Amino acid sequence: MADGGELGRTVRANVNGTEVSRYVANRSTLAQFLRDDLGLTGTKVSCELQVCGVCSVLVDGSPVSACTYLAVDIDGRKVETVEGLADGDTLHPLQQAFVEEFALQCGFCTPGFLMMSVALLRRNPDPSEEDVKEYLDGNICRCTGYRPIVEAVQLAATRMREDGHV
Amino acid sequence: MSDQRTQVGVPVLRRDLYAKVTGAATYTVDVSPPGTLHAKVVRSSHAHARITRIERDAALATPGVVGIVVAEDLKDLFPRFGHIVPDHCILAIGKVRYYGEPVALVVAESLFAAEDAAAAVEVHYEELDAVMTAGDALADGAPLVHEEFYRAATDESFAAMAAAPTEDGDGGARDNVAHTVELEWGDVDAAFADAHLVVENERVHYPMLYAYAMEPYNAVADFRDGRLHVTSTAQHPFMVRTDLARIFDLPLSRVRVEVPYLGGGYGSKSYTKVEPLAAIGSWATGRPVKLVLDVEESIYTTRADSADVTVRSAFDAEGRIIAREFDVVLDSGAYADNSPLVLAKTVNRCFGPYRVPNLRARGRSVYTNTSPASSYRGFGAPQGSLPGELNIEKAAAELGLDSFEIRRRNLVRPGEEILRGKRGIDADLLGDLEMLANSLQSHAREDSAIGIGFTASDAGAFPVSTAQIRLQVDGSVLVLSGSTEMGQGSESALAQIAAEELGVPLDAVSVAQSDTGTGPYERTTGASRTTTLAGLALQRACTEAKQKVVAMAAEVFGLPEADIASVPGGVQVADRPRVPFGEVISRWFGAAAGEVTGVGLVRREGVTQKMPPFWEVGVVGVDVEVDPDTGAVKVRQLATVADVGFAINPRAVEGQDLGAATQGLGGALFEELIYDGPQLVNPNMVEYRVPRMQDLAERIDTMIAERGDGVGPYGAKGAGEGTLNPMAAAVAGAVAKAIGRWPTRVPLTPERVWRLMNDLPEEDGE
Amino acid sequence: MLGTFTVSRPTELGQALDLIGEESLAYWGGTELFLAMKMQLLMPGNLVDLKGIPQLREIRMSGDELVIGAGTTHDEIATDPGVRGAAGLLSSVTSRVGNSRVRAQGTIGGNLCFAEPRSDLATVLLALDAMVQLQSSSGERRLSITEFLLGPYWTAREPEELLVAVCVPIPAATGVYLKFQFTERPSVAVTAVVSDGGQPCRLAIGAVADVPALHTAESWDEFDAASIAAGIEPVPDLTGSVTYKRHLTEVLVKKAIAAVRAGERDG
Repeated sequence: MADGGELGRTVRANVNGTEVSRYVANRSTLAQFLRDDLGLTGTKVSCELQVCGVCSVLVDGSPVSACTYLAVDIDGRKVETVEGLADGDTLHPLQQAFVEEFALQCGFCTPGFLMMSVALLRRNPDPSEEDVKEYLDGNICRCTGYRPIVEAVQLAATRMREDGHV
Repeated sequence: MSDQRTQVGVPVLRRDLYAKVTGAATYTVDVSPPGTLHAKVVRSSHAHARITRIERDAALATPGVVGIVVAEDLKDLFPRFGHIVPDHCILAIGKVRYYGEPVALVVAESLFAAEDAAAAVEVHYEELDAVMTAGDALADGAPLVHEEFYRAATDESFAAMAAAPTEDGDGGARDNVAHTVELEWGDVDAAFADAHLVVENERVHYPMLYAYAMEPYNAVADFRDGRLHVTSTAQHPFMVRTDLARIFDLPLSRVRVEVPYLGGGYGSKSYTKVEPLAAIGSWATGRPVKLVLDVEESIYTTRADSADVTVRSAFDAEGRIIAREFDVVLDSGAYADNSPLVLAKTVNRCFGPYRVPNLRARGRSVYTNTSPASSYRGFGAPQGSLPGELNIEKAAAELGLDSFEIRRRNLVRPGEEILRGKRGIDADLLGDLEMLANSLQSHAREDSAIGIGFTASDAGAFPVSTAQIRLQVDGSVLVLSGSTEMGQGSESALAQIAAEELGVPLDAVSVAQSDTGTGPYERTTGASRTTTLAGLALQRACTEAKQKVVAMAAEVFGLPEADIASVPGGVQVADRPRVPFGEVISRWFGAAAGEVTGVGLVRREGVTQKMPPFWEVGVVGVDVEVDPDTGAVKVRQLATVADVGFAINPRAVEGQDLGAATQGLGGALFEELIYDGPQLVNPNMVEYRVPRMQDLAERIDTMIAERGDGVGPYGAKGAGEGTLNPMAAAVAGAVAKAIGRWPTRVPLTPERVWRLMNDLPEEDGE
Repeated sequence: MLGTFTVSRPTELGQALDLIGEESLAYWGGTELFLAMKMQLLMPGNLVDLKGIPQLREIRMSGDELVIGAGTTHDEIATDPGVRGAAGLLSSVTSRVGNSRVRAQGTIGGNLCFAEPRSDLATVLLALDAMVQLQSSSGERRLSITEFLLGPYWTAREPEELLVAVCVPIPAATGVYLKFQFTERPSVAVTAVVSDGGQPCRLAIGAVADVPALHTAESWDEFDAASIAAGIEPVPDLTGSVTYKRHLTEVLVKKAIAAVRAGERDG
């Protein structure tokens, strides 16, 4: 607790499998840190009030709105963003399913939907349509009308169960 | 012929989606050139006030602040913009006209510094009486939003739109009417006098809406060496270029506007928005400047026009329309922007795709001290069709006809004119109606309340399009287009058209879009024009490129051109093997180098002579259930028919239609910007409620009707906004059936429906 | 955008109690606090991060009470088998708070201390007769929900006090929780529970007025939905006028009582 009195701190965190260490201002949000300091611009920002879900990322496996989460709070934690989903050139099953099901158009909400879907499938590998709707209801998409997204998440879930994907 | 097509008309995975799911896709907000400064806008805290003093010293002293720009710094520039009426101040000049209007621009080394300093800029105001509604603005002696007249924009295609008060106008006294439109034919008064039945809907209200493209407006500008380079969230980069060139008195060739992927547009990113602000920031500081608005600021930047419409229709005993009369008032906010065009389209679209032998439609677009209104998906059609279609439903009820039958008796037949002297309808609405009826009725339940809506939009797509195709020596192909990829899938559709025309694999085609500095001209990305007009230009570019290759092959082989056949992927001489494009190019240049460029141009000529170039129809239906206890409306069935002529990529068309329909449901059930006094009470996504995943209809049927009746490639025509247009009307019609009362406004929020059901006034009284 | 502030990171409760005060606010998930700070409604000079204090995240049974550490997230409460077994209704309500990110980050303590008048938790905890445990360097005290919640965004907590735990009597009352929600937050929420102790029939009405209200009786017959609805003072907002919210209250009260009498139980 010796760090009171400073307007920032050096955070050490694991971001998409890479250890990073950066000095960051207390007032920086996680979204600003990811985009501006680490150059991970896949995470977008929209409503800034935690209701649109665009900026969703995972911190220690748990979904957060990166627009309303302090960057300094990732110290010692593991952060996952959309850039970490694909394995080299191989898309994550959710990414693949989103493409195949036309579950995006402009794509601005997509990183958030993908990260929330990752969180959903980790806690519930076989979600019903209702489960998907309930868990993703806090994510807004203005282009698709949502149905293709529900279909993509369920398609990915099926494939991941079949392939033993973790 | 059609069965030979291999690359179009088939579901193709959209190429842009791969970059978008990995986070690699670049949007404007991801662009930050080295040395970029950050800007923050200081905004008005009054709806209408004279600016008496702006104190910037304290703010300038904030560490990291590089400059603060106010209107008086812009004296040497043309300080306004606007493609129809250039009335829109970059920074408020003399007075502010709406809460949230830009007053000053702070530019700093960091966003933190810019925001901190912006809070320290002190603006002193002397408050003026404000007009917050169109009714207030039209009252005798109402305060004027604009005292001055403006010189109309000179663009020929907008000239008619600028009939609004301008200094070149009739010299009459200034009022708050920004624009008027009147449309009339036949003898309306006589028809009403003869009518079997007259049905009226009085003052039907369509709300102010926010498009909520999830990526807020943003731009990066770099002004140096007499050149301006802007990257921005613009649907129409070439239109933005014109505004910027006028502001800085630069030749068009020295203004470059580039647009990467857009995070949604839906019309709300049409025309100039934040680009002048970013540009003056760079002009003032000599460094690149990035300006990113938040959602609240985006709401202040553009909303959709709200409308109050009164409609009266006359019918004969068989339920045929004999006359219709409309009075339209749009609340267009503090600046004209595209509202004159929205008004013209509201008037053109309000009376529907029906045989209307006698018509009188009058529209006024009114300035108020609210945030400026402009384009939003389908503009004019939703505002006009809500009253127009509700009125048809009311007539059906009084005539004892069902919703489908009254339309069977009145819909225009293929080729018939809707607007006098304009292109006849290029759609089979009766065919669409039967598809819709089958879908909804076969899944109806005992207590189903089905509402339907039809619209026909004269696409506001002025045919000026160009495209280039560059055949590369290795056989790959580069398509250049000025059309913006904003989520609608144009990148993929254009690649499909090029692959089809050239007979090359889809993977061989790359598409580069929307860069006024390096790419070809496209007038706009709006009015669902890209497939039709940019597609036609691209087809022509491919034809030219193929002709050039034939000519080169003739030279290479020493044969007359007539002996060279253009075949998929290359050329052929007699029964010899095909010679691919790349080989012809290589042999002609005498090296493994060079390329062939084909250019395609589209103007008002030939198939695109008659306006509009196509009609975009909207054919939708819903089946709703109303909770008797709460008034909450639930959509059981949603059915849409996309009458698109030909679907280049059917999955993409379905996706666009469901998206448009869902936005339409938002306006019908949830969405509304609400003013209380000078300020919006809900300029945020907590209180501006848009459709969510749990609002999904129980059954969704997105149908596509392909009859090859468009002027675009393969008979295609515009798609992507049609299903939004009549949605509010369809929902209101369905709710009317469910509760036995006629709504007079949307959105049909639970309380509104509950009050209607119980014959209560719209609001709690004192 | 957030202003400037310092952050303290105590690892023990005692340290935290020394740090918090008028200008030094505690936070866990920050789901409410950072929004208020972005809107400049709160501008603390220092924040005290409580995530490093494990004891604040414990859920345990203590005698005839379920004790939930203030730093427990909605998700943790919703998925905790102990809570599910002992207080199924609470478990069910926490699984329906906010959206999935708010449930993952937001805590029971933060929710109560922020005193958002449309809080789901306050309503259900009132019905369950829960107590909040406040601690400061100089001592501790326990308050009922009614004593704790004084008004919108206003509680009995002193600036130097920390809400450390919420205590729910067990076996907890069981029943149903109904809400009418059209936007981000409910317009009206009603919970009807059957309790072993005291008066057996308990009805809490929340989200509609400044603070949630409790009605108790020996029998469900004693409740008159119309007069209960007439007695509340709804706060009109974009989700409903006074008249509409009174009406919704009456509807939900009737439905909740009917459901609980029919033996329905959430959780």
